[in-house]
Amino acid sequence: MSTEMTALETAKPAIVSRPYLLRRLARDPLALVALIFLVVIVVAAVLAPMLAPFDPYDTNLRMRLRPPSGQHLLGTDTQGRDMLTRLLYGARTTLALGFASIVVGSLIGTSIGLASAFYRRLEGPLMRLVDILLSFPSILFGLALAAMLGVGMDSLVIALGLSAAPPIARVARATAASVMQAEYMDAGRVIGLSDGALIRRYLLRNCAAPIVVYCSLQFGETILLAAALGFLGLGLQPPTAELGSIAAEGRSFIFLAPHVSTAASLLIFMIVLSCNLLGDAFRDLTDPKLQR
Amino acid sequence: MTSLNSADAPLLQVEGLSKKFSVSGTWPWQKRTLSAVNDVSFSIDPGETLSLVGESGCGKSTAGRMLVGLTAPSSGRILFEGQDVSGQSASQQRAMRRRIQLIFQDPYGSLNPRMTVGELIAEPALLHGLADHRGANDRVAELLGLVGLAKRHAGRYPHEFSGGQRQRIGIARALAVEPRLIVCDEPVSALDVSVQAQIVNLLQGLQERLGLSYLFISHGLSVVRHISNRVAVMYLGNIVEIGPKAAIFERPSHPYTRALLAAAPVARPGARQAGITLSGDMPSPLDPPSGCRFHPRCPFAIERCRQEIPVLSPGGEGRLVACHRWQEISAFQTNTSGARHAPKTARLLALYRQAAAANSNLRMSST
Repeated sequence: MSTEMTALETAKPAIVSRPYLLRRLARDPLALVALIFLVVIVVAAVLAPMLAPFDPYDTNLRMRLRPPSGQHLLGTDTQGRDMLTRLLYGARTTLALGFASIVVGSLIGTSIGLASAFYRRLEGPLMRLVDILLSFPSILFGLALAAMLGVGMDSLVIALGLSAAPPIARVARATAASVMQAEYMDAGRVIGLSDGALIRRYLLRNCAAPIVVYCSLQFGETILLAAALGFLGLGLQPPTAELGSIAAEGRSFIFLAPHVSTAASLLIFMIVLSCNLLGDAFRDLTDPKLQR
Repeated sequence: MTSLNSADAPLLQVEGLSKKFSVSGTWPWQKRTLSAVNDVSFSIDPGETLSLVGESGCGKSTAGRMLVGLTAPSSGRILFEGQDVSGQSASQQRAMRRRIQLIFQDPYGSLNPRMTVGELIAEPALLHGLADHRGANDRVAELLGLVGLAKRHAGRYPHEFSGGQRQRIGIARALAVEPRLIVCDEPVSALDVSVQAQIVNLLQGLQERLGLSYLFISHGLSVVRHISNRVAVMYLGNIVEIGPKAAIFERPSHPYTRALLAAAPVARPGARQAGITLSGDMPSPLDPPSGCRFHPRCPFAIERCRQEIPVLSPGGEGRLVACHRWQEISAFQTNTSGARHAPKTARLLALYRQAAAANSNLRMSST
């Protein structure tokens, strides 16, 4: 009995089953480094209140723009706040913003994609709408939305989510359209399943893997966009620590104290790069199986 | 015998069923209609197996899909247990559709790969309230036993099974809603020959045990001969001949039926019937021929066939046949004695005999 149980558990068909993916990921050193880096950053961001040596909002004007030293490992910023602390809190905000946005974006995008694949009549209108949205650069679209919706975490998440949704809708529709061809969709219909049940239990379950992979790629984009909005002043308002706005604050003193902008920009760069590398690796891992 | 059967009403009655697909040409305004199924009528009695045979593309699958509600008919009526399937409220229709289930051709594609076998089989029963969540496990075990699988298979995923086993799962899933009619859409043509026999025997056993009726869609004539009570032959969306199995197989009336039977391979060299061989392909259903749809390929076609569409009319032995000339043609003997091989086959056989002779010579000389 017990051997049977283990046989059952190891033979999961899931394309994104974790242990399996991790083992194959280990053969791609670049992706592994990216994964480790991201895990470290995420853990550090989550534990920022415990790890940070100073208060992120504690200004000290006599100590402003100090280069890295023993006391302040990464120096201080324009208000004399500890840069390491600011970066930890900034990463926390930016990552949370990016994650919330990608969740919103994938919900919207997946709904549009699945609906247009399932109801062929909706395909034309919905996909043309997506085409229109895609014709704007996402930064412009995000900017316009952020300006329209005003400042604040909620409106920022909606703006970022909406600008991430169109490409996700495309991917979801393409995947769902191929799943719709499968005979098991007919099989579900014959036994009398409702449209809702068919979409949830048959369509979504079989589309999930490519959509999740694509979202992991989009995550980096969204973070970049979030930082860009912060940099342009449309993000969260100071004194909130956010990587984009930290980079923007240091911009005026880039020659005097380059460490402020550089550190924030580098962190953004590293996070986005890691997301892209990891997303690429995920895609490569799942692709051959999807093509079958 | 037919008069006896007509006493109790048929389980399923199909009247004038047609399906026309609208196909767009190069430009949106160049709409053309493809008539996949054309005015098809037949009935199935309780416990009976009706086979639907024909070339691929003749509309037999479309007919089956209309019965289970996957495709909406363009015109015609489907009466199940005397009631019109389409003229009902949604919930009534769903309850009625439950009694007609479908077994798919492709056992690899017809099971949701993300569900365990237990979930797959329990799903339809739970959906129609035939089992509650507590009773579902017992029901799954019972159904698995019915199709020759073990209870322990319930926790596995479809991809862990062979083609034949998957087809059994598909059958169990169809049985879960207690149907009376099962449309088998080429249920064995994707399987190994050795497994085909098992599945066909399983289907027959289930029929005896549960009193099921089958609409058996196939192009495998040997399987059809084995399983059916009656046979309907389709060509280009029309039924050209329908009747009891013996009548169709022993004394086919329609020239197309004859050609179809003559084309079936016989497992003995030299035993192949030198009957009608057809030339050319089936015409496109987008542009069907005038008159009898079979006339461009029919060796017996006359002017009348080009103009007048033949209707199904009684042709003896309880059959219906749609041909203007079937009475004249029946004089022709399909089974000409002393069958000849095709030239290519004859050459190959000669070569084979030569090689065999050389081989035995060699063996004799070596001993």
